[in-house]
Formats: sequence, structure tokens, C-alpha cells
Amino acid sequence: MAVPVSQAWTVATYVLKQKLTGRKRYPLVLMLEPLFRCNLACAGCGKIQYPAHILKQDLSPEECFRAVEECGVPMVSIPGGEPLLHPQMPEIVAGLVARKKYVYMCTNALLLKEKLHLFKPSKYLSFSVHVDGQREHHDFSVCREGGYDIAMEGVRAAVAAGFRVTTNTTLFDGADPNSVRAHFDELMAAGVESMMVSPGYTYDKAPDQNHFLGKAKSRRMFRAILSNRKKSWQFNTHPLFSEFLMGKQNFECTPWGMPTFSIFGWQKPCYLLQDGYADTFKELMETTEWENYGAKSGNPRCANCMVHSGHEASAVDYAFSSLKGFLITAKKFVLPSTYEDADAMKLLNEWKPEHSGPLVQIQASSNATDDQLQTVSGD
Amino acid sequence: MATEQQEHLKIEQLRHHSADELEHIEGREKENLEGWIPALATDAEIREALEKAFDYRGDITITRKDGSKVEGYLFDRRSGASLNDSFVRVIPSAAREKVNIAYTDIAALAFTGRDTAAGKTFEAWVKKYWEKKAAGEKNIQIEPEKLD
Ligand code: SF4
Repeated sequence: MAVPVSQAWTVATYVLKQKLTGRKRYPLVLMLEPLFRCNLACAGCGKIQYPAHILKQDLSPEECFRAVEECGVPMVSIPGGEPLLHPQMPEIVAGLVARKKYVYMCTNALLLKEKLHLFKPSKYLSFSVHVDGQREHHDFSVCREGGYDIAMEGVRAAVAAGFRVTTNTTLFDGADPNSVRAHFDELMAAGVESMMVSPGYTYDKAPDQNHFLGKAKSRRMFRAILSNRKKSWQFNTHPLFSEFLMGKQNFECTPWGMPTFSIFGWQKPCYLLQDGYADTFKELMETTEWENYGAKSGNPRCANCMVHSGHEASAVDYAFSSLKGFLITAKKFVLPSTYEDADAMKLLNEWKPEHSGPLVQIQASSNATDDQLQTVSGD
Repeated sequence: MATEQQEHLKIEQLRHHSADELEHIEGREKENLEGWIPALATDAEIREALEKAFDYRGDITITRKDGSKVEGYLFDRRSGASLNDSFVRVIPSAAREKVNIAYTDIAALAFTGRDTAAGKTFEAWVKKYWEKKAAGEKNIQIEPEKLD
């Protein structure tokens, strides 16, 4: 089982309660963004591009707790920015754990080893370490040589100290399924509890709009990666979300399933798109024109989106919407499939990496104009 | 970048495409707005300029009709049926507060801050990487912006 039984039970009873009270739209995980600054500067990241006075701001612990209580979710994910740069992060995490919320603190782990002593191991706390692939893939993706080694050192230190450690891998155009599978082996060998993998998707305001996966490419890639999976691999995503990535299920987006709160307020409509902000969770739910979002709406900004924050809640909701959905899901949890698939194996064996060798995947496309190049940060 | 009206039309048009066709929709184009001072002569110009300010990733400066100025990050806009019930929301660069400014109070708008998103593409990183590698550098990376 990729998540503790107590967590699965908490989530199941929470969702059932929502269903029994006839609530049509309910949140599952709060995406709490207590700051936007980061100690990495990944090209194309849409979360860190703000003026300095915005990047310097933090949500206070009280603001974080109020947001959690306002929306009433059982789980809180803390992305950012880099949460470990927030001076009161240990206090925020401790306060959420005291409220019996299951916390996934998303970190690039550059500071994890040195800050571990500020946190206490708990079944409610998991460090969700962002590792985007094997060493070169990760370093390329986070625009920092050596980033992978530091992150994995953080992973090992946290595992050794008795923390729950999960990982989060985002795949971009050009990712190599064989390398991703080898990456899973490395992560499990490092002792992580479970892994999450999902396609990257262009933030509406991201500076780079060209390196994200379209749906057809995503499905093909995830079918190659997630079929014929090893029994040793543990994933902490819902099995039906994994099938959605592989093209075996079709879910519409549930943008209210994982609402986002930051210094700006409640983000409309989702973690990725910024169409404005509401001051309260109630206002977010009542004033967002939800019918304008998701692939079915025809909104071009949603056309290729398969992200976890928009679609995993759909898988969870499906499981509790009918007896059939419940039985299918229960079976997948009790008897997890390895998704034997000869065609997918052939696809994997014949996969031609678009590029190979140390960081050459980026050399091959290094034909940018000087205009595009002059404003790389960090110059 | 498209205005709300253009975006709406585009969405309407795309409703008639199949899922397969939607797979190949081109990414959104980004305009270079840094330094821009839009004309605010008509209601449509005001709405369009403030929509672009909302999409902009740098600070802007708003001059109110009473002559006072607010410089900061425009993080939200509430577009009502008329300019009277439309307003923008700004976090000033020198204070931690949210200031509401009605569209009807705005005399001038300028995109005064640096566009923090400009030029941050993978291609730019790649080129920089290979230049630095050729120069024999080790531990190559993009440093986060200095905040002080
Ligand atoms: S499909 Fe859903 S999660 Fe994806 S961008 Fe649209 S609203 Fe957001």
C-alpha cells in the first residue's frame, strides 16, 4: 500500500461525508503556497516570475491555518517557491500536523539535510521531493548541475531520520521512458515510500510555452513508462489517475479538487491558470465560472492539460460516485496490477531517445536567437 | 497577448474543433510590454490595457485622477459591466497590503517594472550552458534573482 491505511481511511471517510451531504464540488487537497521565492531558477517556471517585493513576502502561519480551516481538506500540499526558505515553515508544518492534516511538503531538497532537525517524523508529514529524472535529466530540468546529487542526499538523510519521503517527477517533452524507469529503481533503492509522476504543463503565465507535453504524446509516453511496471515500484497517485495518464481512462478536470492559496488569495480557477483571485474559499467556489475550464469546455488553455492537480481528484470522485466505480477502485488497491502490455514493451524497447549523453538533449535545440538569450537570469 | 474579448472569441471558435485538432493548438504568444504606456482614451482601451497589466509579470505604475500614484504588482482585476464597477487590485512595491483602484479613477498606466518572465526559456539556458561549458566552467546553473 503506497499510503498509510490511516491516511487512506481519513480520505475515504472525508469523501464519503461530502457525498452523503450531497456536496457537488468539494476540495481534496489544499495547494498551499506560502511563498514564491526559490533557490532554483528553472527555465520556464511560472511560479517564480514576480517582482522582488512579491518574492520576499511570506504567508504567516496563522494565514496558512486559516486557509486550511476555511476549506476543510484532509490533505495539504505545500509547494512554492521552495518551502524550506520560509523562516516559519517548521511552525506551519507542526501546526498542520497538530490539526491532523496529512501534509506533503514539496521541496527541491537543496536545504533538506541541513533543516531536517527542525521537523519531527510523523505519519502526517511526508517530504515530497521533486526529482525530475536521473541525474542529467534532473540537472537539465532544474537548470543546475549537481542539483540531483544534493536532492538525493536530502532524500537519504530524511529516510534515515525516519521521515516519510515521497517523490514527485514532472516529465517534459523529450523525456526518455527507459531512463524514467531506471529513475524509479533508483528512487525505490534510496528508500522512498512512494513516487508520483505526471506531465508538466505550461502555466498560463510561464515564460516558456514550448516544452510541455501534448495529450497524445503524454499518453504514449506514460503507457511506455507505467505498463509492465515492477512490483517494487510504489506510487502514491490514485490507480485510476495512473490509468488516465496511460490513456486507459478518460477524466474531465476537477479544478476545485485541489484549490490554491497564496499571498494573493484563492487562485481562480486552478493551480495552473490565474484568472484572478478570491478573498475567501466560499467566494472562490461561488464566483468562479467553472464551466469555462477543463478540456470539454473548449478553453484552449486546458486543451492539453493532464496534470495531477486537475485530474487526480476526478479519479477519487469517480471511485465514490457509484458502486461500480467503488468496486473497480477497491480491486485496483487490493490487487494492484502491473499492467502487462506487450505492445507497450515493444514501444519501450524501440523508443528512440530524442537526445543522449550529458545534457546533449539541450545542445540539440540550442538554436535560440540572441534576442531570446540576453535576459537569462543569473547572468 | 489576447484581450478578454479575443480570448472569448477564440474559445468559441475552438469549441468546434475535435479533441485531436485541439492537441496541436499553438502556445500563447507573449508580447513585449516593458516600458509601454498605453493610451486610455476609450473604455475599450482602458479594459484592454488593464487586462494586459494583469498578465504582466513586472510592476506597473497607476496614476489616479487625483494625481496620486501607486507603483506595484497588479495581481487581480474585477471586470464589471461598466467601468464604474470594475477595479484592479495592486500590491504596492513598498507595502504589504492590497489596494483596490476603480477603473474610473485611473488617469494613466505605465509598465514601469522589468518583465521578470522575459527571455526565460529553455533555449536561453541551453545556450548559456554550452557557452559556460566551453569556457571550462563547472557547476553551471541559473542563479535565482537577487532580491535585495
Ligand atoms: S484542465 Fe483543469 S487543471 Fe488543467 S489548466 Fe484547465 S482548469 Fe487548470
